[in-house]
Amino acid sequence: MTLYLPIAEMSVSVAVFLALGAAVGFISGLFGVGGGFLMTPLLTFLGVPPIVAVATCNAHVVASSVSGAVVHYRRNNVDVRMAVVMLSAGFAGTALGVETVRLLRKAGLFELTVSLTYVTFLGVVGTLTVIEGINAWRRAQTVGVHSPRKSGQHGWSDRLPFKMRFQRSKLYISVIPPMVIGVFVSFISAIMGIGGGFIIIPAMIYILRMPTSVVVGTSLFQIVFVATFATILHAWQNQSVDIVLAAILLVGGVIGAQFGTATGERLQGEHIRILLGVLVLIVAARMGYDLVVTPADVFSLGSVKGS
Amino acid sequence: MRLLAIILAGLLSVSGMAIADEAKESVEADASTRQVAITSSFTGTEILVFGTVENSVQPSPEAGTYDVVIVVEGKSAPVIVRRKSRVGGLWINTSSMRFTSLPSYYAIASTRPVDEFADPALLDANGIGFEHIRMVPTASGRTDATDATELEGFKQALIRLKERERLFVKSEFGVAFIGRSLFRATIALPPNVPVGPLTARVYLFKEGKLLGQYTSHVRLEREGVERYIHDAAFTKPLLYGFVTVLMAVTAGLVAAFAFPRTA
Repeated sequence: MTLYLPIAEMSVSVAVFLALGAAVGFISGLFGVGGGFLMTPLLTFLGVPPIVAVATCNAHVVASSVSGAVVHYRRNNVDVRMAVVMLSAGFAGTALGVETVRLLRKAGLFELTVSLTYVTFLGVVGTLTVIEGINAWRRAQTVGVHSPRKSGQHGWSDRLPFKMRFQRSKLYISVIPPMVIGVFVSFISAIMGIGGGFIIIPAMIYILRMPTSVVVGTSLFQIVFVATFATILHAWQNQSVDIVLAAILLVGGVIGAQFGTATGERLQGEHIRILLGVLVLIVAARMGYDLVVTPADVFSLGSVKGS
Repeated sequence: MRLLAIILAGLLSVSGMAIADEAKESVEADASTRQVAITSSFTGTEILVFGTVENSVQPSPEAGTYDVVIVVEGKSAPVIVRRKSRVGGLWINTSSMRFTSLPSYYAIASTRPVDEFADPALLDANGIGFEHIRMVPTASGRTDATDATELEGFKQALIRLKERERLFVKSEFGVAFIGRSLFRATIALPPNVPVGPLTARVYLFKEGKLLGQYTSHVRLEREGVERYIHDAAFTKPLLYGFVTVLMAVTAGLVAAFAFPRTA
């Protein structure tokens, strides 16, 4: 069965896009990421215009993250207070990012910046996650101790003011680190056009030292809001959200997210982190490859609106 | 004497008219459909363009006395072509060229390759053939491509890229005569054809001379749900965004509560 997409202006196979939505939804539920970093390139690869792909995958992210976040919330695995602190600072980061994008476009450096940011961030975060995951796994196997958090080892961040109690995460820390992370992640998200889950997860674990059990739920919870904001902004400013494409993707997405969440429960936290790291590295390698290898055609076509 | 002169003049003018009549071939054409509806089941379509040569002197359909060219064009829009080059080991877009207007869709069908029977100047003037479409680069923008070879490179790339998207279509023997004067051609509209009015131009050639031209229009419009959604996205963008999010949140909630939890 095929369907004509009103905004993307193309005819697509419903089965293929349902499957794509389900696959990315599974990953979203499993790792607690939005999946935009996978969905956007895959949609573009299937012929969806990039500007529509970037905008529409946000709607899919909203659906899969709601689907996953609700499950985690009912298990008490969401630190709402932490999410709110990060989000409140996040808006400043988004505004800053949007302005940076404008300046980079003006200077003609936007494309290069995005490509390099993607490869660098995915590469660094992927590598660190894999290494840390393997170490944690080894520790867990030899000692049987499971938590990466050791109380009283926060060092400099303990001396920061504005301390707040984050009950769910069993933390009593300054609000400054989560806010800085919030600003930074949303700044990067605005430039790269993604939710930033793959940066938030490691930041929560290794910088904030939140327990692994609440990290995935909290990340999903806050991604709901980031992606909602992005969807509305894209629809409003660019008219580039394809609601029909979104509907197909998110039907697959929410189902996939349920299976992903269920699978995540059966896996160890360390394993999940290693897998996420590997996945991120694969995407980074793919993008790096595109940058280095001689393209089939050095010319490319852009519509003036989307450029 | 005077009468003779009048009769002579009359005869001359009659014979003159007869000669003019015989030579005055023209073309009339139309498309099989004036309106193509883009609905949710649209997967591309074909339109039939047919026409007739008035006062045809062609003895048979195969004689090849006339050459007919049919050009179907979508509305024009500015485009940008980017070129990558290697900088420090990385392939990045380094130069670009903007063209003020280019048909979003361009299909050409003819009785034989147009370069075989018409000279380039005539083709240029009428925009017949990919290489003869008017492409004017804008002065502004970041272009370091100013000389002719650079411009040619970008033009060739533009044609190649549009052909790859199936938005530039050429059928060099696509027009067939089915009688002494009747001809037809089918033009494929791909699923990704840009929505908007189409213009069908039909040219009649004989021995390299342009004898006539006929223009007809085909409307390509969204209908039903497609039209409703598209209009909503552009006229009520904020509402459209909220509806999209609402749909996503609902789907997420339904899935979360519908699935049985084991733990």
